[in-house]
Amino acid sequence: MPVGYSIYQERDSVLHQRIDPRTKFALLVTSFVLALAYNHPAVLGLLTATVIGAAWWSRLDFRRFLPILLAAGWFLVLGILVWPFYIQVGPPLFFIFGSAITITGLLFGLAMGLRVSLMVAAAGVWMMTTSPQKMTLGLVRMGLPQKAGIAMSTAIRLVPLLNAKRATIVEAQRARGLRLDTGNPLARARKSVSVLGPLLLSAIDLAQAIAIAMDARGFGARAERTSLVQIELTRLDRIILAACGMAIVASVVLRLLGIGVIVQGYL
Amino acid sequence: MATDRDPIVAAHGVSFRYAGSDANALESVDLAIARGEFLAFVGQNGAGKTTLAKLFNGLLTPTTGDVVVDGSSTHKVGIDFLSKIVGYCYQNPDHQIFSNTVREEVAFGLKHHGVPAAAAAESVTEALRLVGLEHQADRYPFLLGRGERQKLAVASILALGPPVLVIDEPTTGLDLGGTRSIMRLLRQLNESGRTVIIITHDMNVVAEYAPRTVVISKGRVIRDGSTRDVLTNEAALREAFLRPPQITRVALRLHERCGFPAGILTVDEFLTAYRSRAANTTTRAAARPASRGQG
Repeated sequence: MPVGYSIYQERDSVLHQRIDPRTKFALLVTSFVLALAYNHPAVLGLLTATVIGAAWWSRLDFRRFLPILLAAGWFLVLGILVWPFYIQVGPPLFFIFGSAITITGLLFGLAMGLRVSLMVAAAGVWMMTTSPQKMTLGLVRMGLPQKAGIAMSTAIRLVPLLNAKRATIVEAQRARGLRLDTGNPLARARKSVSVLGPLLLSAIDLAQAIAIAMDARGFGARAERTSLVQIELTRLDRIILAACGMAIVASVVLRLLGIGVIVQGYL
Repeated sequence: MATDRDPIVAAHGVSFRYAGSDANALESVDLAIARGEFLAFVGQNGAGKTTLAKLFNGLLTPTTGDVVVDGSSTHKVGIDFLSKIVGYCYQNPDHQIFSNTVREEVAFGLKHHGVPAAAAAESVTEALRLVGLEHQADRYPFLLGRGERQKLAVASILALGPPVLVIDEPTTGLDLGGTRSIMRLLRQLNESGRTVIIITHDMNVVAEYAPRTVVISKGRVIRDGSTRDVLTNEAALREAFLRPPQITRVALRLHERCGFPAGILTVDEFLTAYRSRAANTTTRAAARPASRGQG
């Protein structure tokens, strides 16, 4: 199946080949709901580990999954660094700039980091195990307008391409003496304009070229269109969808009962 | 090709492998480029031309071997230093243009090198004058034509005053007028003492402007010599999936059939050789009846 510049990796795994894209989307939504339902680091840690386990089980190339994990790790660190200043429940562990840092605050920060990490990792596994064609088809079958489906899958497909363009632009500006890694944050932000400007223009140029090429091949000529790729909900999909539904209901009930929650009153 | 002059760029046993790749993009490259040379890198897409050129200004560093630029190893000096010696101009000028005016675009590199405003303004004016864009200094760069944007990209590199210019595909997307204009500019820059390296697929451009040609195939330098020697060796070029310019091939065929001069690179050279040959034939023809009459 043509993959193009998508981050999708073709593998012979259950997640890749035997699960319908709609079911995978339901799994993604469920992971998001569960991530928001709980704020206990143990529960969120377990869920994040499950998602990373799913990536391993799907035989994804971890060298390509690593950037996603690193992004997730960054949110984890950010959560631990920021949230303890706002959550001051329990006895103080130590003080920073006059703010009491508590063990509950640290654990809540860890949970918030894990929450975003879980979402980032889940979205990564979803994109790496679902081909753009099936992703679009799945969303269209779920009621998304055809054009919106194409726009979405095209946008996802363009991310690595634009990243390659960004690398070229950075090289071109470095050749003129630009040092993006030096200076204070404001100076760096100002310097990044020299990369973002050409990148934005390249993106517009690329989008326009794709739109013209699609129009030239009859895009939008009919309201309905056929698809080379066929998808069908199997018994396995129905079981997973039922499990997703139950997991969402259970998470809401548990949340109302205060289970899986380390600090009450916070999402 | 051995060069008697002092090399400004030299590659010694250079190999390079991109991260995550299983094969070397460059393999055991040895090359010396003298000050003031004008040379062309030719080869198929993916042959390693751009990779080799990127090693010259420190955008890449060799995996093994060494690249020495103006006496300094690129392993030891960074791109800050090297960008003032080797100016690298990308194939697509739109990959670097972002400023609101042509003048600001040219000043970009100078600002990053900490050049004071007055000196920077002087360098910008001089660079724009060299490329013939001085009258466009206050225009929005994206309103310029493709050929002018290419010149702007060259100007923004020239402003830094590098003695070596690497221009990747200078004629791509340009019509004949644009091609001639940019190539004449590069020739002028070369004649004013700068070393010019072009990376190109246009063999006519190579034949007309570059006295030296380096043929790269599968990461190796397979031919390096005077453009006349390289382009008239069809068998060697075939190895790199290249062909000489059409006029060179015509001359080679005529050489095989009737002894026409073989080392022809341009239409003008062809015409000169043809006229010379025609004049000789006329002289011989005119001389023949006279000698018969005398006999």
